[in-house]
Amino acid sequence: MRKIWLIATTTYRRRIRSGMFLFLTFGLPVLMVIAGAVPFIRARGSDLPAVGYVDQTGRLATVTQVPVEDATLTLTAYPDIGAAQTAFQQGEIAGYLVIPDGYFQGQPAAFYAEEEPGGKLQVALIAFMRRAMLPDEPAWILDRLAGPSNLTYVARDSGEEITAGPAVAVRFAVPAVLALVFAIAVFTGAGQMGSAMVREKEQRSMEMIITSLAPRELVAGKVLGMTLLSLTQVGVWAIGGGIAFVLAFSSVVDVQTLSIPWEALTWGLLLGMPGYFLYAVLASGLGVMAGDSQQAQQLAGVLGMLGMAPLYLMGLLINAPDGPLAVGLTMFPLTAPMIGLFRMALVEVPTWQLIASLAILTASLVGSIWLVAHIFRAAMLMYGQALRPRQLLQALREV
Amino acid sequence: MTQSTYALEVHDISKTYATVRAVDNLSFEVHKGEIFGLLGPNGAGKTTSIRMILDIIKPDAGQISVLGGPMTEATKSRIGYLPEERGLYEDMTLLGTLLFLGQLKDLTRQTARARAEAYLRELELWDARDLKIEALSRGMNQKAQFVAATMHEPDLIIVDEPFSGLDPVNARIIKNLLYRMRDRGAAIMMSTHQMHQVEEMCQRILLIDHGSRVLYGPLDEIRRQFASNAVEVDLRGKLGHVPGVERLVSRNGGYRLLLQDGVQPEQLLRTLVNMPEITVERFERVETSLDEIFVRVVGRKVANEEGTA
Repeated sequence: MRKIWLIATTTYRRRIRSGMFLFLTFGLPVLMVIAGAVPFIRARGSDLPAVGYVDQTGRLATVTQVPVEDATLTLTAYPDIGAAQTAFQQGEIAGYLVIPDGYFQGQPAAFYAEEEPGGKLQVALIAFMRRAMLPDEPAWILDRLAGPSNLTYVARDSGEEITAGPAVAVRFAVPAVLALVFAIAVFTGAGQMGSAMVREKEQRSMEMIITSLAPRELVAGKVLGMTLLSLTQVGVWAIGGGIAFVLAFSSVVDVQTLSIPWEALTWGLLLGMPGYFLYAVLASGLGVMAGDSQQAQQLAGVLGMLGMAPLYLMGLLINAPDGPLAVGLTMFPLTAPMIGLFRMALVEVPTWQLIASLAILTASLVGSIWLVAHIFRAAMLMYGQALRPRQLLQALREV
Repeated sequence: MTQSTYALEVHDISKTYATVRAVDNLSFEVHKGEIFGLLGPNGAGKTTSIRMILDIIKPDAGQISVLGGPMTEATKSRIGYLPEERGLYEDMTLLGTLLFLGQLKDLTRQTARARAEAYLRELELWDARDLKIEALSRGMNQKAQFVAATMHEPDLIIVDEPFSGLDPVNARIIKNLLYRMRDRGAAIMMSTHQMHQVEEMCQRILLIDHGSRVLYGPLDEIRRQFASNAVEVDLRGKLGHVPGVERLVSRNGGYRLLLQDGVQPEQLLRTLVNMPEITVERFERVETSLDEIFVRVVGRKVANEEGTA
């Protein structure tokens, strides 16, 4: 185990210092955070300009000031659109809201301005509407009216919570996002693993290393190191994505009210880790079988496409998430993590299926390490050459 | 129970790739505390044999005993190997590489550091310790690989072309390190095409060709076996007909005498000393160089094969 760890940490340290890895790992989340921060900054950072409004219904109260967070929106009521337009043209107001005659019958109100108002002004305009409709009610009632449908539903018989609204979205989104993250990790990780192995072969360092430890230890160490690397990458992306999500949606959804779907996360980890290991082991085998980097990339690409395969079957799976195809793919080790997670997003997957899937996946992982260790023995010293099928068979016979 | 004097015992190993018999019933032993030469033309099966000894590839038949038993993971830490196809991680520093490879051979990090430092200083690589491997010159790289292969002080050292890419000064440094390891009791198996290095360093040799043993045993015996029946003499006076001499060639002020079959150099010396018209100043048996033996044995085989074909 000590040697496996030594290989893993050395692989990790060597790769994490490469410029391309640092760029890919940190560049993407920085872009995500910037993208997420734009609406946040617009919502938080902008001052509230003076605006006007025209009440064509004649039923709204006159409101000239609306407090929003740490600022106050100042409004001027105009008798008609022409007056509001003149004030706008003279620069007295930054824009004007027109509440049409049919507003209470469902006709939308419109805000006229030079550019789209910031998030803070949008929130302030909605607060104004509430206040203008209910001028005499206390502020806490108006605040509650902003989100009265954020309910929790409970099944009467079982007492289990049936979530709804944004929580439902999270319940679906978390396993789906986890499955997608897994697919991306497999796709990028398989490529990295394959090229790492062929580079190792090209540098001709294996012959010396392999006389210090067993091939299976070398395979396990390499795979562990590359997996830690992928986890680092995906972890940084997840943190970046999480920050971007909170920044982007904090003005729309009360993030604190969303519950974390622990079951999906746990199974995501339980299936995702050995699933990723399995792909990494197979990719390392393909990498060492390849004759050069280009061939390794192609072979790893095929494996990566296989990892993404469940995405192509989504239509079938959504129609029958408990059907034989879905259950079968949950048991097949190469599709188990993704299909298992997608099904969890759609239906209640029986626990026995998840446990059976995990058991098959783990057994396949052990078998694949054995297999690849034998391929290693035969292929690692074939500098600049690919392993031919006959040689592969001979390697597997030499147990 | 007496301990075996062999560090390595190879019995009848064979290996076939597709239709090519790379190694064919090969047997030999390497003693503890000796430098053993493994020789052969390109493609003779040397590297395949070494890889079978090191358990990198499995023999189709035969047994190999390394340091008293079959190869185990524990045995690997007692072996040092400098392969012909060598390379280190180019993006790692020299010191980092040695620490990594030393620890893979079961040294603690502290011991690996201490040994690496001592070797790097001795081989004048200390100032390059923080350089990446890709920045090292070929000679520096070669020395670094040698350190990596031997810093754990193994009991069996297998070196494949250890002097390639080295200038005479650095070759001498590596040679002295090998002598030191041999004196410590380590068995050294050296595969090389540099015959003068073998003549200088090896006590015994194995010459293989087409995967089979062609010559095997102490170097002195082999050279005697191939010694030409000739002597060189420097003398005063003029040499005429000498009994027992088939041919006489004047050479650099002296003579080379080719003896008749069955005539020993000692007999000739007695004859010359008893000749009153000359005074013998130097009498030396002409030795056959290993290079010549190699060419003669391998060349003869090639000629035989061509003849058969």
